[in-house]
This record gives sequence, C-alpha cells and structure tokens, in this order.
Amino acid sequence: MKRTTFILSSLFLSAVMTWECGHRTETTVATPATTVDVCAAALAAGPEQNDRDRAITRLQQDARRDHTARSALERLGFAYVARARINNDAGDYKLAEMAAACLDERYPGEPQTLLLRGHVLHQLHRFAEAEQIARVLIARRTFVLDYGLLGDALMEQGRLSEAAAAYQTMVDLKPFYQSYTRAAHLRWLKGDLDGARGMMRLAAESASPRDPESVAWAWTRLAAYELQSGGLDAAMSAADTALRYQPDYAAALLAQGRILLARNRVSDAVSVLRKAARLNPLPEYQWVLADALRFGGLRAEADAVEENLLARGRETDPRTLALYLATRRTNVATAVSLAQDELRARHDVFTLDAHAWTLAASGRIAEAVPEIARAVGEGTRDGRLFLHAGLIHAAAGHSDEAQRWLTQANQLRWTLLPSEREELATHLNGTRIN
Amino acid sequence: MKRLSHQTLPLIAAAGLLLAGSGIASASSHMDAPLIVLDDAANTTDVYAFVQQENGRKVLVTALGVYPFEEPGIGPNKFNFDDNVLYAIHVATGRDVAAGRPTISYEFRFSTKFKNTKTILQSYLGVINDVDDAAQNLTQFYTVTKVDHRTGSRVRLGQGVVPPNNQGNATPFYNQGDNGENPAKDGVATFDELDRYTRQAIATLDDGYVAFAGQRDDGFYADIQAIFDLLKLRNPGKDSQRGFNLHLMALAIPIDDLGGDQQIAGVYATTSRRRFTILVDDLGKSDNFGDWVQVARQGNPLFNEGLVALEDKDLYSRTSPSRDRVLFRKYAENPELAKLLNLLVLEPDIPGIEKGRTDIAGIYIPDLIKVDLSTGPARLAGGGPTHLTNPDDPGFSRLSIFGGDTLISQIQPGFGSGAVPGGWPNGRRFGDDVVDIAVSALISDLRVSPPVIRTAGDNVDGNDMAFNKVFPYESTPQNGRRHAHH
Repeated sequence: MKRTTFILSSLFLSAVMTWECGHRTETTVATPATTVDVCAAALAAGPEQNDRDRAITRLQQDARRDHTARSALERLGFAYVARARINNDAGDYKLAEMAAACLDERYPGEPQTLLLRGHVLHQLHRFAEAEQIARVLIARRTFVLDYGLLGDALMEQGRLSEAAAAYQTMVDLKPFYQSYTRAAHLRWLKGDLDGARGMMRLAAESASPRDPESVAWAWTRLAAYELQSGGLDAAMSAADTALRYQPDYAAALLAQGRILLARNRVSDAVSVLRKAARLNPLPEYQWVLADALRFGGLRAEADAVEENLLARGRETDPRTLALYLATRRTNVATAVSLAQDELRARHDVFTLDAHAWTLAASGRIAEAVPEIARAVGEGTRDGRLFLHAGLIHAAAGHSDEAQRWLTQANQLRWTLLPSEREELATHLNGTRIN
Repeated sequence: MKRLSHQTLPLIAAAGLLLAGSGIASASSHMDAPLIVLDDAANTTDVYAFVQQENGRKVLVTALGVYPFEEPGIGPNKFNFDDNVLYAIHVATGRDVAAGRPTISYEFRFSTKFKNTKTILQSYLGVINDVDDAAQNLTQFYTVTKVDHRTGSRVRLGQGVVPPNNQGNATPFYNQGDNGENPAKDGVATFDELDRYTRQAIATLDDGYVAFAGQRDDGFYADIQAIFDLLKLRNPGKDSQRGFNLHLMALAIPIDDLGGDQQIAGVYATTSRRRFTILVDDLGKSDNFGDWVQVARQGNPLFNEGLVALEDKDLYSRTSPSRDRVLFRKYAENPELAKLLNLLVLEPDIPGIEKGRTDIAGIYIPDLIKVDLSTGPARLAGGGPTHLTNPDDPGFSRLSIFGGDTLISQIQPGFGSGAVPGGWPNGRRFGDDVVDIAVSALISDLRVSPPVIRTAGDNVDGNDMAFNKVFPYESTPQNGRRHAHH
C-alpha cells in the first residue's frame, strides 16, 4: 500500500474571510502555550446545532485523516473565524488560532498557513504581528489576499495611506468582492461616501450566492452608507435585502433599527433592536437598544440592558464600552483606561475618537483636543465623530470650531442615537433638533 | 491502495499526434483557483468548441459556462449573469494558435432590468408564458461584440435576451408536461422540440452568428469527490455535478468568418472585471472605472484544476495563454497527477508517464482547445446510445478517440488517413467524458509511434440529463422545485 499526503486543496476564503470594518469583538486570547496540544484542541468536538457547526465537524473529521489534514485544517481555521463573525464567540477565535498553530506545527512556513495565522492575529487585534506576516507573504509570492491582510492590519493601525496602497495592489491584481469591500470602506473612511456606496453595491452584486453571509454583510454596509447619505428608503431596502439572504442577520437588524430610529419610529425600532441584541449581545447593539428603550419611555428595560452592557462590555467590546461610559459620564477613569488599552493595539479613526471622547469626559480637555483633531483628520464623515469634535471644542472654548463640527454633526443627525441627537440639539445654538 | 486496473490496448491507428498533442486529468473547473472560487458569476466552469452545421452553414459552436455548483433550489434572483463582468470567448487562428493569442474575441455584456421594483417578487410576477413577458420581472439582456485583434475593429453582432431561470411553477415550460412540479425536460434532437423559453431565447445575430445565454443543466460529469479523495475511485461512481445548473453563453460562429475551414482554430474564454483607483488624491475623490482585469481563464478541461500547482493557480487565471509556454509548460510535461496515479492507484506502476510528456504539453500548451475545422460535423451526445427519443449520434463515444470516435481531417494526417479525435482533445463536445479521456491520455504514451493506448476512468459515464442535439446543446436547466441531487 502506498501513501501520500497529496492534497488538491481549494480555499473557500469567501465564506470565511475575516475582514470587517467598524466594531468587532474583542478578546484577550493569548498565543497558545507550546505545551498545549494545539491539534487536539482544534479538533475537539464542539456543538452541532446548525449547518455551520456541522460543517466544522466534517472538517474536523477530514483533518483527522492524514491525507486531507492540510486542506481541512486550513478550512477549519477559516470556518472557526467565520462562525465567530456570526456568533461573536471569542472562543472560536481561539480555536482558529489553534488550527493555525496546528497547521504551523505540521507544515511550518507554508503560505496558506501563514495567511490563516495572519487573519487570526488580525481578529485578535494583534495588528502589528498580522502586518509582519502579510509582509513575509508578499515577499514570497504575488497573491491578492496577502495584500488584503496587509491593508487590513495597516488600516487598524491608522496607517491609511499605506493601507490604500496595499488595497490598490489588490484591486490591480483582482477586482472582486474582497477588493471591492475594502475599497468601499477606505473611501468611506476618507469621506467619499458616494464612492463608497458605489463600491459596496458592486461588492454586494458580486458576492457569491453560495455564501449568504458575505452577500448580507455587503448589503448591510450599504444600508449604513445609504442611511448616512439620508436615503432612508434605500437604506431600508438594502437592510431588507441583507435579511433575505441571511435571515436573522444581527448586523442587518441593527441597521434596520437605526433606520427606524432615524424615522422616529421608536416602537418599531425597539422591536427590531431587541431581536438584534438578543442575537448579538454586544455593547454596540445593547447601547442602541437601551437608548431606543429609554427614548420610548421603557426605562426599566433600558436599565437592564445597560446593566448587561456594563457587565460584559469589557470582555466583548471595550472600545464601545469606553465610548458608552464617556457618553454617560460614568466611570470615566475606566473609560479612559479602556480606550488607552485599545490604543496600544490600534490607532484607527474610531479608537482615536474613543480616546479623545473619554479624555474629554474625564475633564482632560487639553489632551482631548489634539486627539480628536487626529481622529477627524482623515476626513471620515461620521455623525458621532463630528458630535464629539464639536463638544470637545466647545468644552475647550473654541466656539467657531465647535460650531463648525456641530453643524456637520447636525447634517448627519439621523445617524445619531436619540440621546446624542438631544445632546447635539442642546449645544447647537440652544436649538432642539430632531 | 490500488483500485484502478488498466489495460494496454492495441493501437487504434498509426503514428501521429492528437492534433498537436494529447491530454490529462482530475477535476473540471468547479474547484479551481482558490480566489476565483469566491467570484461565482465570473468563475468559469467549462469551455466547449466543436464543428457543426447551423442554418445550413458550417459553424464552430463555442460555449462558456459560469457559476459552478449553481443550486437550482436557491433563487430565483441570486444566480444571474453579472452586469459588471466582461465575458469573452476567444478564437485563435493561423499563427495565433501556437502563440496562444486571440485573433478574434466575442464579448458578452449583460444588463439587468426590472419591470417592477416596488415588489418583493424580484424574478417572477406570475407564470411566465413567454420570455420577457409581463410576468418575468427580472430580465437580463446581452450584446455580443466581435473584436478583431488584427485590425482593432469592434463590431456589435447583435443582442439577445436571457430566459428565466427554471424556478418550477413560475416557469412550467421548462419541465416535463409543461408542469412546474415535474423534473426538467430531457434533451431533444430538433429545434421544434426544445422548450419554448429556450427556443425563444436563441438569438440570430448579424452575419449568421447564433447566440444563447441563460441557465442550463451543468453537463460536466465526474466523481469529483472520489478524485479529490486520494483518487479512491468507486464503482459506480457518483456524479458530483448531478442536479446542479450553471449559466451558459453559447455562440455559433460561421467558419467562413474565421477564414475558412482549412485550418485548426484555438478556443478559450476569460472573464474580467474593471480596474479602478480607490483614492485618486488626498481629497478622497474616487474615479470612474478603468480597463478590464482578467480574473478567470478557461481552455482545455482540467488543466488549471488538475495539473497546475496550487501556488500558480491564480497566476494562471490572470495571465494569457501566450505565456503558457513559459509559465505552465512544466506542469503539462511533468504532470504531478501521473505521479499520483502511479503512487496511489495504478498496480503495477506505469513507467515513463511522469516526465517528459510532450504529448500532454501538446494538448495544453498553450491552453487553447484546438479544433480541426476541416472535419465534418462532430457527432453529438443525446441521452446515451439507447435513449428512446434522443439517442447519441451513431458512432458517438464519450471517450472520443479512445472509444473509436474519430473524424476525418482534410489538413492533417492524424492517426492515419486524417483520423482525428471525434471529441476532446479535438475540440470539446457536450457529453465528452473529459475525466476519462484525460486519465486515459495520461496513462497512455502518445509520444511513441505507434502510440500506446490505455484507458481508465472514474466510473461516471454520463450526464444525469440528456443533452440537446440542437443549439444550445447543453441540457435543460434543472427544476428548482424538483431536481436530482436532493
């Protein structure tokens, strides 16, 4: 009998690509200790509650067979990351890291192994390490997704010009879903909303129907862009489309909730947001729900949601928790600490904003002013960012600057939470705006 | 573990090459380049090219499939041609064949229109009686443009309409008894017997060209699962594409328009998307789309999927066949798959098949499907030799020359007296068992005179649906309500 490790592997990266913009789950998972049997950990039996779980089980079974191990392990790693995107379970990132470590142990230095590990590190917010891996890969080969990883890692570190160069190489090598989505996000970060919308629509139209989450994700992002541009009908249509591809897609439900809030349909918004927060009990979801509940007079329920946010936010999304605490002007020292911890890993626009906002909440206005200037410096058009800039400058006594940023925030007021709109209205010429 | 027995067959014919060489195997383009798997609308599955008669004229029938593993039950609006993709079928003639350069390209561009956007019924507003009637909400239209690379001229040959996808009750005329609850209609032998949607969607273009674009059954058949499972074949094999559809563009090209039939043409296809600049300047302004970037390529079956190493699959997808000699010849001349067949399957090993395969390189380098235009029409597959209403043409063999199915060339000696393969690797017909042909070619030795012929296969010997023996040849699309694989 002859044996071989021959594999004709195919990477189904579309289903499992790990990049996402905006807020994402935080985790404190460490590198697996060398004493851990990483392969056993990656292949340990897990839940089998849905098709995604069962696909993972099948990959585990394949990975236990010598001859298919490499391909299966690789896909298993990406499958864990994909499941983590849906379930927001940090444990899946740990399992993905184990799969990557197992691959590395068995096939050290393989590009596919490095790419998986790079994406896992990115998800674990170890952006500098992810960048390093991307650069190793790029030195070795010309592969479009390596540039995607590099751009993602650079963007999170606030190095947008370098990220743009990496993404442009991606586009030049291969215009397709992965490059479209990144181009859209970069354009949005640079303030080109129309360009972002066009590109995200292209991404949505090019996504594989065999990967509903990818399609739904693109439509959800498009809904956010449409909302920002004031096209509420278009935004709702995009969110609806996302939900047709991926029913109960929490991100799309959150988008729907925010669109309904923009329309002042608070009761409808609450209903949708409850479901979104139940599916994805993250600070980003809970904050919006709590705000809607409070705005709708459901204070007890709002309190309960916020209690949960406070209890779990540090683990699941410390940056959003920091923003929340600063906005509520409570535990501001903790808020500053959380934001500064985030800054150690990333310097993107929203982390800079979080830092500035928490500093301002703790009364450190002089420090907040340059930090918010850095945040708005890239040109990102975001209602909350503008509101924070306006309020920080107001606190610093820069009335013209404050007026300028608050006016810009007012132009995007429907993207703000109800409480933020109230705060904006209070400060903007003393006029209530809704 | 050795599972596959092989037999050395006596020579079919005397010395010579299969056109310019011979062929090899693994899976068709359903799991090919890692990246292109992510882009189904631009993901090429198979290319076909064969000589036929259409409307009294000798034509080269060409076809390109996209959307691997298109699930009939998903939809209705999810599987469509992509308006943002440039689909192109390229034909090389004269010196361009050996050079791997297109002489003429035929570009398909699509546009999608909705009759009513104020509804959730995106594709079907009711039962569709005729293509693009009031009940077909989503309709795609396309243009075919001929690009002559010798002169740079671009000529719009005409336009067509894409028939609806086969959803079931909304599209009853695709299905047996014109009933949406029934399986799709079997293949037929005449135009009049075609289902009405397909009939209505066949477009006669300028200068005698005939085109079709729309959903069809995926006519590729093979036990992909077993092939990729360490070549542990089983008997009977299991057709991995059973019950799946794809989207097909077919074009019948008058051979007169290619410079006549006393030549060998080369055919391949590409898909492309537009390049763009993400950020033009620091002001964050974006630009319009630029030139096209090739994102997928398909020529002979199984080359990129079965012979090209993983690290070079994407390179293959984005390069021209004109570079194949430099970049990919090594994969054809020293096919890893031959080594694996010896390692895993064949008992005893066949010496000499792993290296120096100039015969295999002759088929694949450059990776164009070479078609001898001087032959008579290719024999066509129907529903198998014993099908009651639509049998294969007499003499048709799924194994092409390995099954004794040959055509007579007027321009090359072939295997003697002008005998050349009746199907792939002389062109490729619907129904050609490309996996078995490729494996057979790989374990044979076509470098010697007379060649040593051995046959082997994956035990999947036919498509799950009968082919049409009239344009567009590919089988009727599987019914989304009731189809074969689940």
